[in-house]
Amino acid sequence: MPLDAMKDISDDALLVLFANGDRAAARALTLRLTPRVLAHAQRLLGNAAEAEDVAQEAMLRLWKVAPDWRQGDAKVTTWLYRVVANLCTDRLRKARPLPLDAAPEPLDTAQGADAALQGAARVDALQKALVRLPRRQRQAVVLRHLEDLGNPEIAGIMEISVEAVESLLTRGRRALAAELAGRRAELGFADEHE
Amino acid sequence: MNDDDITALKAHFEAARSHAARPSEALLARVLADAMQIQEEQAETPAPQGRAPAHEAGFWRQVFQGLGGWPALTGLATATVVGIWIGASPPSGLEGYLAEGEAAFVVDLDPWDAFDLASVMEGAM
Repeated sequence: MPLDAMKDISDDALLVLFANGDRAAARALTLRLTPRVLAHAQRLLGNAAEAEDVAQEAMLRLWKVAPDWRQGDAKVTTWLYRVVANLCTDRLRKARPLPLDAAPEPLDTAQGADAALQGAARVDALQKALVRLPRRQRQAVVLRHLEDLGNPEIAGIMEISVEAVESLLTRGRRALAAELAGRRAELGFADEHE
Repeated sequence: MNDDDITALKAHFEAARSHAARPSEALLARVLADAMQIQEEQAETPAPQGRAPAHEAGFWRQVFQGLGGWPALTGLATATVVGIWIGASPPSGLEGYLAEGEAAFVVDLDPWDAFDLASVMEGAM
């Protein structure tokens, strides 16, 4: 089956096809889910090489669980976000703290050079502030504001109540704002208000 | 948090969303290679041979199976026929047990063994 024909098929239906030996489903799931898994891992870890390892491991676990997957039980992405978070937690526990001036990852500079540089600087500043947040606050903020998920889904991924998610988000945003407040002029925010 | 904080945070989040890490061709190739390998392994592993779904047995089939099938039914039929024959034409050895005017009943309690004889007085019925 061509990949185009699979764009309207849900993730869990593709996973069932995968379990039945459909190679096109394997390719479709790889192309659809690996970017999300990688981006999430990188936002939680702040490290590209480690994020790649986590992404590959998370996808491997997905392939292995495919024969036992029951359609309708849970969203595949919800399951994956949870696996990624657990893998990242394991790595962060074992790893030494990241240096505060860790270099940002190479960024896409397809947009205008100035805007790209400013955007890159903002991403870099946010990433450095994110890795200083407590782990659960970071996870909640990333899921809400970078993965664009709703609070109920975040609650499902983190296996906590919606109220607890809201509390983590409030504290996380406040900490991020405090962390970034001193760099506004440097990051181009002063220009926007003039 | 004041409005400036919120505005700045939103800009940071927007920038981060548009600068999401993209998987390299090498990573996609590794993930796909894992997928193919797992698919092959899962195809080689025979699915567990579960018991075939049981037929929806009808009432008489359930009764037949509940009695023990053909062997039990054969013994039951034999005992029944013998019992009827004894009732209709009692052997001479039984005459001492059965007085005139008494009714004799053969009660088959265990089709696998012999049958028991119960004598019930007409007045007790």
